[in-house]
Amino acid sequence: MKLKSAFSACLFFLIVLALFSCKNDQEESFGKFQLKFAHKVNGNELKCDTLVYTNAAGNQYMVNDIQYFISDIDLINNEGQAYRLKADGFAHYADTDIPSTLIWNVKDQIPSDNYKAIRFVFGFTPEHNISNQYPNQPESDMFWPESLGGGYHYMKLNGKWLKPGETIPTPFNFHLGIGQVYSGTKEAEIAKSSKWPCGSIITKSKNDVLGFVHNQFTVNLPVSFLITKDNTTSLELVMNVESWFETPNIWNHNTIGSSIMQNQQAQIWAKENGQDVFSISAK
Amino acid sequence: MNLIPGIKRKSAWILLILFPFLMSCHKDTEVTPAFKPTLYTIQIPKFFPTKLNIPDDNPMTVEGIRLGRYLFYDGRLSGRTHPDSLMSCSSCHTQSSAFEPGINNTRFPGGKTFGLTGIATPHYALPLMNLVFNSNGYLWNGMIHSSNTKLGNTAYGIPALPQYNYKNLESLVWMAIAAPHEINGSIEKTVQLIGSDPMYPPMFKAAFGTSEINIDRISKAIAQFVRTLISSNSKFDKYLRGESSLTPEELMGYNLFTTEEGADCFHCHGGGGNPLFSTYLFYNNGKDTQFNDPRDRFSITQNPVDKGAYKAPSLRNIEFTAPYMHDGRFKNLDEVIDFYSEGVILTQYTSPLMHHAQNQGAQLTPTEKQQLKAFLKTLSDQQFITDTSFSKPSDLNWQK
Repeated sequence: MKLKSAFSACLFFLIVLALFSCKNDQEESFGKFQLKFAHKVNGNELKCDTLVYTNAAGNQYMVNDIQYFISDIDLINNEGQAYRLKADGFAHYADTDIPSTLIWNVKDQIPSDNYKAIRFVFGFTPEHNISNQYPNQPESDMFWPESLGGGYHYMKLNGKWLKPGETIPTPFNFHLGIGQVYSGTKEAEIAKSSKWPCGSIITKSKNDVLGFVHNQFTVNLPVSFLITKDNTTSLELVMNVESWFETPNIWNHNTIGSSIMQNQQAQIWAKENGQDVFSISAK
Repeated sequence: MNLIPGIKRKSAWILLILFPFLMSCHKDTEVTPAFKPTLYTIQIPKFFPTKLNIPDDNPMTVEGIRLGRYLFYDGRLSGRTHPDSLMSCSSCHTQSSAFEPGINNTRFPGGKTFGLTGIATPHYALPLMNLVFNSNGYLWNGMIHSSNTKLGNTAYGIPALPQYNYKNLESLVWMAIAAPHEINGSIEKTVQLIGSDPMYPPMFKAAFGTSEINIDRISKAIAQFVRTLISSNSKFDKYLRGESSLTPEELMGYNLFTTEEGADCFHCHGGGGNPLFSTYLFYNNGKDTQFNDPRDRFSITQNPVDKGAYKAPSLRNIEFTAPYMHDGRFKNLDEVIDFYSEGVILTQYTSPLMHHAQNQGAQLTPTEKQQLKAFLKTLSDQQFITDTSFSKPSDLNWQK
């Protein structure tokens, strides 16, 4: 009788253990995630170093290279919960001149689930835009000078455009990052009246710079994908380059000029144009 | 005859036969020590890169660096002994000029170098400093790079063997010995001559485990020494570390250096966020209208966009490294600043980062030029050019 009771107890214990372990398996199932970076113009793969594109303002232009950071990358599941990628740090650097940066095999173990979107910050939030955090090249080459606000370029997009009546293309540096409010400017008046259009943070002042403006923005891309146990799910993030130069602001190089690091108005236009620059798809 | 008293003859013979084996076993296990050189760890200065370009097959050791220092300064690398025929790395790379020839070089007037047999070198020499932090290629065109699979050089009579590769600093040693515009020598003669000095075999043994001397070991030792040449104590470094301050003029110069609407030097030459003061990437900076140099960046990539492009050299110690540019066309900093202010030529090959080219340059005022120059001089590192651990060993008498 005692033996039978002991046997029943053991059986019960084993069943409970099995049930719990099954549940555990289900809850702790993980998969891998890969993000590929593609760059297109009007739906076709970007062709660098060749004067073959025309922007919405009618400027003939070429792109030579693009470097940029995305950070605080979240995968959003169908319940709206966010999984923050963190095993590789909080940001990823992509560079059209360095193919290895264009395929990101994320180190995180991603919970198996149905996901409905990916979200990231283009550039860095102020909390993460810390000078000298990247000691090594190529990331260190992206530093944004202290006198202009410090931290890092969100993006360098270098190219050339053809000025009217000229045959040699002129360089342009579409560089995005922290903006400055200079004393005596229209922006300074706006800042003083606390009506800065981007909810900016005026942090400190230096020389004739009244303050700095953080111009990063969040990109939210709906995309349905599944992370399954032990499998790698791959998505392709596409930068549609022409979108930087249209909607809502038509970008005319002839009027805006070659350089915009010290032109906060241009930074705002770029930020507004950047909202629909990215698209994503399963790959 | 009883050879050993008290032991029978048969046993004695067995002992005699086994004795050498027993002794040899004893020697193998206890006498030969394992080769354990003293590993050398590079102390990374604050804000400097943590990624080091050190090949797996050439770890840095105290013994290897010591040997490399002697070889770096030994004129017998030329494979010749006549006083007029000595040439070493230090012949062109002099410490007082941040390990480049320098414009006041007595052997190479104006800093224009030529080889042992009088053939001009195609480009002006680059300084040797902080090279361990550069993974983007060595020489003006970046030919020496881990991705380069080329071996040997038929024009120099060098066979396609693994030790004659183009991958890292080690490669520059065999190239310097063999190149007609440098030592124009014979690797065999160099190896033989170095080996003939009784000083060296023990040093090779200490560095590599045996006293064998070959080009691979000579190259590795010199490369180890060159990787120790780190410059990180300029006035600007101390300013970054909060140990010193800059004058208002120097600060204004730094502001010009790091602003797009100023001189915009930093995109190619670094700054506070990249204290190497170079991206070590390649740019056509708008010096010319015709680009036919067979040794420009285009010669490596075959990408037309690289015509007339050269590596942006580090601006550290720039005060000591005149003349400037790959062809030494500018004799002083004023000429360089004038060029970037009003002498830049816009062509289809001009780098897109040279946006001031549309106005022939940054159009600096005389005051701004002085401010920029004042800042550039804060990059001078007196400690680097006088550090005795980088200097010629006092007991080496074969330098020229």
